[in-house]
Amino acid sequence: MNTHRLRRLGGTLLFYLFLLLFLLVVLLPIYYIFLTAFAPGDKLFTKPLSYLPQSFAFDRFHAVFTGLPILRYMFNTFFLATISTVLALAASLLAAYALARLSFPGANLVLVGLLASSMLPGSSTVIPLFQLYQRFQLMDTLHGLLLLYGSGLLPVTVWVLVSFLRQVPIEVEDAAKVDGASFFPMLWHIILPVIRPGIATMFLINFIGGWNEFFIPLVFARGPSAKVITMALSEAQLIGSSTQFYADWGNMAAVAILATIPVFIITFLFQRQIVEGITNGVFK
Amino acid sequence: MATRRLLLAYLLVAPVVIWRLSTSVYPFLRTFYLSFFDNSPVRRTFDYIGLENYIALTKDTNVTQSLSFTFFFVTVSVTLQIVLGLGIAQLLNRKFRLRTLARTVNLLPWAIAPIVTGAAAVWAFNQDYGLVNDIIWRISGERPLWLVNVTNARFAVTLTDTWKNTPFLAVIFLSGLQGIPTELYEAAKIDGSDGIRSYWYITLPLLLPLIVSMAIFITIFRVLSFEIVYALTGGGPGSATSLLSYVVYLQGFRVLNFGYASAVAMLLFAIVLVVGILGFGLLRQSWNRL
Repeated sequence: MNTHRLRRLGGTLLFYLFLLLFLLVVLLPIYYIFLTAFAPGDKLFTKPLSYLPQSFAFDRFHAVFTGLPILRYMFNTFFLATISTVLALAASLLAAYALARLSFPGANLVLVGLLASSMLPGSSTVIPLFQLYQRFQLMDTLHGLLLLYGSGLLPVTVWVLVSFLRQVPIEVEDAAKVDGASFFPMLWHIILPVIRPGIATMFLINFIGGWNEFFIPLVFARGPSAKVITMALSEAQLIGSSTQFYADWGNMAAVAILATIPVFIITFLFQRQIVEGITNGVFK
Repeated sequence: MATRRLLLAYLLVAPVVIWRLSTSVYPFLRTFYLSFFDNSPVRRTFDYIGLENYIALTKDTNVTQSLSFTFFFVTVSVTLQIVLGLGIAQLLNRKFRLRTLARTVNLLPWAIAPIVTGAAAVWAFNQDYGLVNDIIWRISGERPLWLVNVTNARFAVTLTDTWKNTPFLAVIFLSGLQGIPTELYEAAKIDGSDGIRSYWYITLPLLLPLIVSMAIFITIFRVLSFEIVYALTGGGPGSATSLLSYVVYLQGFRVLNFGYASAVAMLLFAIVLVVGILGFGLLRQSWNRL
């Protein structure tokens, strides 16, 4: 009995030790970005590092807001992440409805084709897209970027929505048909409310992905009119390049904070939905 | 009535199909086509050269080094992620106070942008003022050089990737664990099996198909990685930490060698395809074992 208890105590102790280690490995680097962003310049370079904030300063944030069109970048980022997700969800919902409910020749081809096209690496499509975008003046435009942001979301979104729709009992629709509702009102008033939780979780996941996007704007947005927040990371380092070395890192940390706070807030508010969204994307 | 229904169906799938055809399928086919050309906007060339780009590929050290790093990166990162992901899932599956908070914390690295992770890692791996070396120094008194030494730079990229992406896998494994009926463990307890034995004989075999399918999935994602290498090492030292997506980017958008970059992109696609096919075979086997 005693040894059994001792073993259990040992197990509990070991568990908390590993848990602590895990939390430390995750949180320490994030904490350190915050520390770097809010530290006054001369406090950044201590050897060994000091892990407790000695004083707070906002001069790094002041530097990036005055040195770069940060607000414009953040607006672009928000716009692209939101609208691309909405557009992709709308298009996917229409397609998913047809694929789940109306059996038509070629339905399987569309489903499998979508899945196959999602395997095509971004770098194996980017060069012709770049040429097309130059020819049709889509470079540096938000609508040009929307098209590419949204495109990447379609395959998984359609697949997940098809599996949602197949769980909606068909009687729900029949009742609507008896009432004489036509297609779009039926979709909006009958189907959408039923699958709304699923749509909300997908929206969150896709929004975070869009907010964090870097490769697409790197290639297709070269002027400030369409640049996004993740691109400000390297630009922030150049603001104070002639003055002090520390300013570069502090500036970059400040941009990192600006790029990260929104997704962290979403993560804290919607932890459960995000987990559901991640697992839906994998298991469906 | 039937034709109306059919027409509706095609109208409904049309936006998605056209959208994907124009932004994914067509550009992909065009990349394949371009890979047989010497196409550069700088030299103003568009000449058919057959397989020359592909022959040049085999002699390009940027490409061969990328392949060797890809192999290292995939092997180490995927192994670490699976082992650590299973461990974290086990931790977060246990009941304790503040468990929900710990699960949220687990999501934070997943939520951070890959490019932000890469940029922060440059700072973390700084020799004198970086977080990593500060901790190593406190323990061992040494301050290793990370980003200029071939082996260390490779580990720096791999560890950064592991930090960023393990939480995603932990989430998946956690939901896999939650799907295992508790009766199985209770039966094992009656048989006298303790924690580690029941993990080995019950948990792992049941999770195996999930582990295998996720291994394929994350292997493909590792092969396609771009941001961490772009931000952390720029492929260096030399091209010791370069990955093929990064070579495509450099050749396509810095050197503006569209034809050659397309050939590299096709090599990348071929690798993804082979991994996918091999992986699918492996997956079927692991299902059959169950």
